[in-house]
Amino acid sequence: MQYEFLSRPAMTAAKLTLDAGESITCEVGAMIAMSRGFTVETTSRNKGGSGGFVKGLKRMFAGENFFLNHFTATNHAQSLIIGPAMLGDIIHYPMTGGTLVVQGSSWLASSSGVEIDATFQGIGKALFSGEGIFWVKCSGTGDLMLNSFGAIHCVEVNGEYVVDSGHIVAFEDTLEFHLGKAGKSLIGSFLGGEGLVCKFSGQGKLYFQSHNPPSFGKLLGPKLKPH
Amino acid sequence: MYAEIRDKPSFANIHVKLQPGDQIIAEADAMACMSSSVEMDTQWSGGVVQGILKRVFGGESMFVNTFSTKTGGDLVLTQPFPGDMQCIDLNGNTMFLQPGAFVACEPGVKLGLGWAGIKMFIAREGLFRLKVSGTGRVWFGAYGGIFQKEIDGEFVVDSGHLVAYEPTIGIRIGLAGGIFSSFFSGEGLVTRVNGPGRIYMQSRSFDGLAAWTNAHLG
Repeated sequence: MQYEFLSRPAMTAAKLTLDAGESITCEVGAMIAMSRGFTVETTSRNKGGSGGFVKGLKRMFAGENFFLNHFTATNHAQSLIIGPAMLGDIIHYPMTGGTLVVQGSSWLASSSGVEIDATFQGIGKALFSGEGIFWVKCSGTGDLMLNSFGAIHCVEVNGEYVVDSGHIVAFEDTLEFHLGKAGKSLIGSFLGGEGLVCKFSGQGKLYFQSHNPPSFGKLLGPKLKPH
Repeated sequence: MYAEIRDKPSFANIHVKLQPGDQIIAEADAMACMSSSVEMDTQWSGGVVQGILKRVFGGESMFVNTFSTKTGGDLVLTQPFPGDMQCIDLNGNTMFLQPGAFVACEPGVKLGLGWAGIKMFIAREGLFRLKVSGTGRVWFGAYGGIFQKEIDGEFVVDSGHLVAYEPTIGIRIGLAGGIFSSFFSGEGLVTRVNGPGRIYMQSRSFDGLAAWTNAHLG
């Protein structure tokens, strides 16, 4: 599979070019356009893999859709253009046998060699991290496309690093995080608007987004008419 | 202190590299991520009374956070909406910022509160405005792109599009045209600015986004 990003970074779309027999699994609703002749299947499991109903349910809790769409090329060099619903960027992450933990709504697409599953980060983190209850765990080999609200940056963590909740896109599972206070005092952290933050430790890549969906929602929400 | 605005113009955020002795003061909730060697302290924004006034009348937060480090570290500061940011260097001069525009400043900058007036409140621009003065860099942001203009004489800005202006600028709220055209042209109230002085405008308005979204809710 070859990929190319269009309209970066504010309104990014990914143009994927597949050879006959290659297939890509996308988030429901991600397809913008495609060439003739793609086979499209909608299932609740990984392409050719295990899972099914339970995995679909877990994905729903992870902020993703119950169903997945699989696009398989039937001819040479067929192309597919995909994009997320909200403004923002897309990055490509090459899977080489490791595991990447992806924040619920940031998973956009992955090639058929990548296994996707929902993972639970613990009840404390689920309630207080400001992120979803479940995360999407990606493993195997192949291509992975992630999307963000805002620009995406990568930090090579070696030791410790602090990310405000709402800004995490993905992290390699050689990293782990716990919740902590942003400032010296707990009260100060809450008054200062930061509340609890995610403190990462270990060694590995961490991807974060420049903008925070809950902060945007808090600003826009009160201006919307009651529904 | 190294500080760079990156991802302009749609997702501007500030990448700061702090050395021991450096300090940067940021709006509450502006921190996106930071090295664990960076420390955060929360204070009232310009004192208790001013902090409360800012929250109640100015649309700003009551608190600001000060970031510092003992060993050096990175910090990323952002704003809640997509858009551009601008950095200005104060050298004893003053600048007024509209509510919500302030992102960060250096410790030599004083964050004060200026009375904007009842008319500005009616025009939904806030009863108070943030007055930044002193010396050092100030970063402010906008929903949309930012453009500046040197005003000499009168200039008309649609309400919700003015982001920052120099204190020499006089501001009046008025109708865009006659009574009829003001209410049916979709422009309604506008801000009439009088120079000489510099103003900063944003290419979109957040109230405009809310109105558009409301119009499209099922």
